[in-house]
Amino acid sequence: MEILTKLQILSDAAKYDVSCSSSGSTRKNSKGGLGNAAVSGICHSWSEDGRCISLFKILFSNECIYNCAYCSSKITNDVRRATFTPEEVVSLTMNFYKRNYIEGLFLSSAVYKSPDYTMELLIKTVQMLRENKFNGYIHLKGIPGADNTLINRAGLYVDRMSVNIELPSEASLQALAPQKKKESIIKPMSLIKNGIIQNKEEKMNYRKTPSFLPAGQTTQLIVGASPEPDLNILKLSEGLYKRFTMKRVYYSAYIPVFESSTLPSIQTKPPLLREHRLYQADWLLRFYGFNADELLNSNNPNFDLELDPKCFWALENIHIFPLEVNKADYTELIRVPGIGIRSAMKIVTARRMSKLDYEDLKKLGVVLKRAKYFITCKGKYYGGISINPISIKQVLLDRPESYSTQLSIFDMFPDSLVRKEASSNITGEF
Amino acid sequence: MIVYVYDGTFEGLLTSIYDSFYRKEIPTRITYMQEEQKDFLTTYINITTDEVKFNKVYNAIKDKISYHSLQNIYYAFLSEQKDCEIAIYNYLRLGFKIGKSIDGYLSNNNVLIINDFSRKVQKERHAMLGLIRFMELDKGLLYAKIQPKYNILSLVSPHFEKRLASENWVIHDENRNKASIYTDGEWYITELKLENEIEISNKEKLFQSLWQNYFHSISIKERKNLKLQQQNMPKRYWVNLIEKNM
Ligand code: SF4
Repeated sequence: MEILTKLQILSDAAKYDVSCSSSGSTRKNSKGGLGNAAVSGICHSWSEDGRCISLFKILFSNECIYNCAYCSSKITNDVRRATFTPEEVVSLTMNFYKRNYIEGLFLSSAVYKSPDYTMELLIKTVQMLRENKFNGYIHLKGIPGADNTLINRAGLYVDRMSVNIELPSEASLQALAPQKKKESIIKPMSLIKNGIIQNKEEKMNYRKTPSFLPAGQTTQLIVGASPEPDLNILKLSEGLYKRFTMKRVYYSAYIPVFESSTLPSIQTKPPLLREHRLYQADWLLRFYGFNADELLNSNNPNFDLELDPKCFWALENIHIFPLEVNKADYTELIRVPGIGIRSAMKIVTARRMSKLDYEDLKKLGVVLKRAKYFITCKGKYYGGISINPISIKQVLLDRPESYSTQLSIFDMFPDSLVRKEASSNITGEF
Repeated sequence: MIVYVYDGTFEGLLTSIYDSFYRKEIPTRITYMQEEQKDFLTTYINITTDEVKFNKVYNAIKDKISYHSLQNIYYAFLSEQKDCEIAIYNYLRLGFKIGKSIDGYLSNNNVLIINDFSRKVQKERHAMLGLIRFMELDKGLLYAKIQPKYNILSLVSPHFEKRLASENWVIHDENRNKASIYTDGEWYITELKLENEIEISNKEKLFQSLWQNYFHSISIKERKNLKLQQQNMPKRYWVNLIEKNM
């Protein structure tokens, strides 16, 4: 089969995987080698769905022996099938990289012949890349059910590894992906976690220890193919962050492609806005000091699609507000709707010099559209309406935020982190 | 009115600042443009770029203000915005007065302007790191064409020096007729104007079409959002993007 056709089939089959950022690893180029990895990650293009293209994302094979209900590569589906050779993937990756189309490789695969067989092919590919002195970023998908030793070996060649959790509960896994067991997903996750910890210790003792997954592990789950509410999903993510030191949990709105009694009907629109709310909430977990129970509870198990999770939370907790911007500490400021990490830091810095009024905030570039209902400046309230959740919700909804702004790579990093990394990259290049 | 005329280099600009200090005079403008109509009431002073003076000011900024400020004004300088020179001058005057704490004066107008210019340049630099597209020419030479708004060649080159260390490459800024050339482990910037279109090899054509193909099949049609695509990847960059030119 022609390489062009293979590429078409195997990139098409890989497109639903969402985790494609290339951040968190610094790999230096070696002598005579090609490439390095930049900490802050670099987007190289944006596809027509507006998502950033940073890594060359493909399946090694879509010839699957499994039959997960939601997947277009499942064995019972009638699609064109293809399998790369390791050489083909190596050539495509290196040539794309050299032309600066990509930041690295994201290699996943259907279960071809058996989990171990597939995993071995994947390892062969990444090993060959490194032997060809390719030092760009590599994210490899761990195949559930593959042998421990294989998972461990793969970790030596790549920057990041992920095993997809797929569905938010064991019951749904049982119903929609019966060949995947909770066990076969969780086990490699803890294996990876322990590998990383162990490697860190070894590195402290012997500087020359090779890196094991320097960019850590991530996972992904499908939203809307099964009935779990946001609360369960967010609690699950919280647990994954804590237990497996996950770098990221990605959420992928289910896009119905099959008519099936176990799945939402084919007419169902992918729940993109719900996915967006989960990303926003996830963000609040990781950088804003919220926990899942603060954001949702059994009375409110799902986010309000009309309001972002921080506004939702603030209106539920209106008794804390308004906050005085000259007094509130940093951790309080970042909880104000509309005030992000970057704005909060600016406020804290600037108010050391002089007390801030409303105009000063504007000058600092703080977006006040939402924030003004939740703060006072030098004791004065600028919201212009009474502070009660109903009227604030009313005005907020009159000016709905633009839902079309889905996630861009910049949303994936708090501004402050991007800024810090950008300037530390510049140092020494000046 | 006093106008300083310098040679358009960063070294020249810092030399102007040195001269102004020792001449105890404050210019109203610093420019390298030839003024069309010389104004009868204005005194023009030619500044001769001087490496010793440049170094003195350079180190003074680093030591008495901060390295961060030095970077900031260098970026602002590369923005080539009208009157960025005098903005830098005013910023530095404030900086020499108050030192490192200048970064805290976020509501000061001089600081705001420099931060704004600097941020714009950094943003374009970052975008360019991803959007530069190399084509492989004869003997494996990698060639890229760019048309950036700001003068970012010197900012993107170190990145590719590391990344494409064992290649030979050229990044050509067509807007400024300049190019950064990397060979034998070093890069330098030089004038470059090409007379003819670049010819690419068959192998290059294959990889371009593979990439175009990939670009198409990776997008999810149920999520189509051209507005978002354009918002992240402004149209003005498209001319040089293989995937956008088929
Ligand atoms: S194992 Fe993966 S590729 Fe195979 S059917 Fe399930 S989800 Fe699809």
